[in-house]
Parts: sequence; C-alpha cells; structure tokens
Amino acid sequence: MNRSKLRFLINDEGIVFSFSGLISQSLTAFMIKTVQEQLDETITDTTMKKAIFLISAEQLQNVMSYSKNKNLDTKSQCVSFGSFAVGFDKDKEKYFVTSSNEIDENDKEKITKSINFINTMQKEQLRKFLREQLRTAGNKHDRGAGVGFIEMAKRSSEKLEYSFEIFDDKLYFHILTYI
Amino acid sequence: MENLIIDATTYTPRISFDAQDALLIISGKSYPENTFEFYKPVNKWIEDYLATTEYENISVSLDLEYLNSSSLKAYFDMFDCFEEAQKKGKILNIMWLYDEEDDITEETGVDFIEDFESLDIQLMIK
Repeated sequence: MNRSKLRFLINDEGIVFSFSGLISQSLTAFMIKTVQEQLDETITDTTMKKAIFLISAEQLQNVMSYSKNKNLDTKSQCVSFGSFAVGFDKDKEKYFVTSSNEIDENDKEKITKSINFINTMQKEQLRKFLREQLRTAGNKHDRGAGVGFIEMAKRSSEKLEYSFEIFDDKLYFHILTYI
Repeated sequence: MENLIIDATTYTPRISFDAQDALLIISGKSYPENTFEFYKPVNKWIEDYLATTEYENISVSLDLEYLNSSSLKAYFDMFDCFEEAQKKGKILNIMWLYDEEDDITEETGVDFIEDFESLDIQLMIK
C-alpha cells in the first residue's frame, strides 16, 4: 500500500469521513456522531448539518435493511456489508453523502422506479408525498416505512443520483446525495 | 396505570409518561434500527391510557431533535391516537419544541399541525 496515495485520494475527493465494512446500528450511531463532530468545525448552518445527519441516517439504515448479504442474528439486530462516505465536492461547493451495498436483483426495478418517481417531484410535492405515504403506510411495519428515499430527496439540493454496478458477479447499488 | 419510563440511548429518545399527572414527555433523538419495535409499547401505552384515564386534560411535550423517516411514521400513528381520544372527549394539549435555528424540526411540527387540524399543537422555541 502506497501510504501517501491514501491521503491524496481522500483529500482529492474531499472526504470528511468514510467507512467500508460491516455496518451495524451502533456503528451507524458512532459514524453519524463522528461526522457531526467533524462538521461542527466547518459548518455553522444548523439546517445543513441536520440535513447531512438525516440523509446519513437514512442511507446507513438502507444499507442495513436492504443489503443482500445482511446477517440477521436476531429479529431486531442486523449487520450488513456496505460503504459510506461524507465529503465536500469542491466543484459544486456542496457537501455530499454517498453509500453502496450489494442488493438482490429483485430490488433493482423497485428501487429504480421509486427513485425515478421521487426525482420528478419538487420540494413541496415531496413534502406532501411523504406525509401521504406515512398516512397510508398502514401496518407495513417491516424494517423502515419505505420512505427513506423521499426523506433524502426532501433534504437534498439536487436530484438523487444512483447507479447499479455488477462486480464479481454481484449487483451493487450506489446512491449519491448532494446537500 | 403504571408509568412508562424508558431511558434515552444514542438513537432512541427518553420516554417519560406519568399516568397520575397526565403528562407525557418524549425528548431526544429518534433513529432506531427497528422503529416499530421501539414505538410499539410506547403507542400501546398511550392507547390504553387514553382509553382508561379519568383525566380529561392530557399534556404532551415532544422535544425531538432528530427524527428519521420511519420514526415519523410512529408519530403519525401516535397523533392518530390523540385525534381518536379527542373525538371521545379528551382534551390534548400538545407542545412541539424546537431550537430557534432548527428549521427542520419546526417544519415537522408545522406538518403535524396541518395534518391534524383538530388537535391543539403549539410550536415552541426551546
């Protein structure tokens, strides 16, 4: 490993925090707290810091809930492999939150439809749509109410960017959100 | 009815429901991994309490710094419960607390006011 390569790579991409590996709820809490502490030094805007927090929480919980290779050790505990990063894009002059995880082929179409639909909406529409979804979610009380993408879009300054990639015969989902 | 007290964790709020004082307080962050599991006993307590208490006036104080999307769902269910109780004659006084610079929590409070018109929800800066 070229030691300076890692530092340059992280600096070039403007990474504030990144992690790749087994993600659990306690690690999620720790990572979000660390990101907040890092950002306390550079961001004074409370709403922006909070948006980064909320988007990070939604993305990390998506990784835990929808990862194909999650290990369900008890009903409520779940750990999954995934990657997560928060950084500052120097060209756009915006913070971003991004994550990746392996998904099931069956979820690809569902995710695509859901994000494409969300991306057609303006802020006020998203606000109403989220509330409508929460109202009608009924007893769909599985892991999460399935409204994470709407929440991300509401807090983001751009459309949600996403892609799928096959690597080593496995299907990966990447999502990138600018704040 | 027994009080319901649950201490806060990094990702779940403190629950302090006092049956004798008719005072329900929730404060902290809420982004549990399994939201339904956390809020099930909380919302059950509220439902049972509102159905059995002799008190007419119930005070609710909500000070939620962070709410993830699945937690929001739990609060929609809770407000549905409040609305039901109010139809049956209870008077719910709900306080929604937020920090002055915190537009996101303020906006969430405004959303609840718009969606639950029959409830008396007061926004209050901490």
